[in-house]
Amino acid sequence: MAGYVLQRLGQMLLTLLAIATLTFFLMHAIPGGPFVSERMLAPEIATALNDKFGLNDPIWLQYLNYLRGILTFDLGPSFRYPGVTVNEMIADGLPVTLRTGVLAVICVVALGVPMGIVAALNRNKWPDTAVMMLATIGVAIPSYVIATILLYVFALRLGWVPTFGLDDWRGYILPVFALSGFWISFVARLARSSLLETFEQDYMTTARAKGLRPGQVLFKHGLRNSLIPVVTVLGPVVANLITGSFVIEQIFALPGIGRHFVLSITNRDYTAIMGITIFYAALLMVMILIVDLLYVWLDPRIKLRKTAQ
Amino acid sequence: MSRPPILSVRNLRTSFFAQRGEVQAVRGVSFDVAPGEILGIVGESGSGKSITCMSILRLLKSTGRIVDGQAIFDGQDLMELDENAMADLRGNDIGMIFQDPMTSLNPTLSVGEQVVETIIRHRRISRAEARKRAIELFELVRIPSAAQRLKSFPHEFSGGMRQRVMIAMALSCDPKLLIADEPTTALDVTIQRQILLLLKQLQNRLGMAVILITHDLGVIAEVTDRIVVMYGGMVMEQGSVTELFAHPRHPYTQGLLRSVPDLRDGEHTRLTPIAGTPPDMIQPPPGCPFAPRCVHAMKQCDIAIPPLYPMAEASDQTARCWLHHAQAPRVAGVNAPTAEVA
Repeated sequence: MAGYVLQRLGQMLLTLLAIATLTFFLMHAIPGGPFVSERMLAPEIATALNDKFGLNDPIWLQYLNYLRGILTFDLGPSFRYPGVTVNEMIADGLPVTLRTGVLAVICVVALGVPMGIVAALNRNKWPDTAVMMLATIGVAIPSYVIATILLYVFALRLGWVPTFGLDDWRGYILPVFALSGFWISFVARLARSSLLETFEQDYMTTARAKGLRPGQVLFKHGLRNSLIPVVTVLGPVVANLITGSFVIEQIFALPGIGRHFVLSITNRDYTAIMGITIFYAALLMVMILIVDLLYVWLDPRIKLRKTAQ
Repeated sequence: MSRPPILSVRNLRTSFFAQRGEVQAVRGVSFDVAPGEILGIVGESGSGKSITCMSILRLLKSTGRIVDGQAIFDGQDLMELDENAMADLRGNDIGMIFQDPMTSLNPTLSVGEQVVETIIRHRRISRAEARKRAIELFELVRIPSAAQRLKSFPHEFSGGMRQRVMIAMALSCDPKLLIADEPTTALDVTIQRQILLLLKQLQNRLGMAVILITHDLGVIAEVTDRIVVMYGGMVMEQGSVTELFAHPRHPYTQGLLRSVPDLRDGEHTRLTPIAGTPPDMIQPPPGCPFAPRCVHAMKQCDIAIPPLYPMAEASDQTARCWLHHAQAPRVAGVNAPTAEVA
């Protein structure tokens, strides 16, 4: 197992290198640069700036310099915000994003899975219809529409929660819900269909034929088997949620990391694009690794082993 | 039968309510199982034999419903018990083995745990004691190195070994009745024999009654004491294995026996299949369900369902065929020769 994890971490480094390379050259292929703007800079200043950030060096030298930076966990200075490093940008936005993201993940698991169970146990009865109706709405309506409606009803009309900011716990309710709404619905539907499929399995009949109580049959024999597809989607979902959402952050005026990412692209803030991309990629890969390790715990038929060298 | 039966099924009716209508899978089945005997239920796919047994344990899938009938086990009607009492009985007084050992074990739990949880459910003993009992059971069904294998998962076993685990599980609480639903159908021929002989030996040793469902007449001949032949959701004929194989009194049973290869006949004998297909159970024929395929069918056969006629020459044998009516024409082979003489 330890060998397997080490091998996977090694593969992750290679993947990260490939992502860094691809992003680096794609980014430089986009016309324009960090210091090109409608308000023309004096040519001397532009040259001086380009010199300062090494943008006049040959592209391969820039690439090597950048890689050296990554290896020392130095993502470089921001080109747009003087005196701010990309490391600081991430450190600044991450806590807020992480907090809302983790809360959203908890909501997805704690609401989505039980909703799916309730629906599956009451197949074609009213609780099933109610859950599936909610879930269909949640999947069909985009998060920013849900966010706007939530804001209008709960913040503006009822005044139960603030319209923006994270000054106390009530501030988190709407952003977290807007962020997780889609995935709660998605997971509820997935858990329901997966459970219904599991109910049809022969071993469920065996469990009942042994005289096990309905609770034992459901939780010990049914749930574990039907959670495997849920865990599969949960990996990318977690990565998606804890890296934040630009749209949600804009609507609720959250100082998160998603905003930095989108702005860095329009700004051609080379180091910020690279830094945040690599950070996202690393996070996603760690999540997928965790999901793969969870599989083994859930399903003993899956064996993780190092591939032949 | 001198001893009172351990299980007495009376007029059992089970239907599935599908979109197309009511599928009458079991239509008034009655039979008895004596303590310590092996009763074989034979019939082709869709004859209602498996549904009959699933109905006895009340393990039908959601669309299935027991419409009518009784199943008296140990003096109580299983159809009247509440769900809790029924769960106490399942796996404890009545064990069950299923057709496909590949899918009947939970793939995510160790085989040991699946046996242990059954024991703990029904017995007031500790987990350690239950584990000891599970090892004994594995040895009983001859799983080699039983103690180590307890930790294995189903996918680490072959089909035959998995079926042994299923048997160990079904026997874990010393049931008075074991229901085996085609326990050898999914296995290799050589393994089939091993499992069958194992079942027979265990039955001898533990003295429980067994219902063995199968479509394999070879299996029936080898291990059972009595046979119930089912077709179209009904009992067509029943009797002791010797009587029924020597003198089948129903055209369907005769057809079944003719469709089995007999190696003594030499290699150039053709098998005689039963022409036609089983009836549609949404709209079963008003008369004998076998009449459309029966070579001896008469006008009466399409009008009314025949009763089970007791055979004069064999006290325990009954056959559901109009040919045994007093006014029916005598057909050689179906009617006993004594009846013709008389």
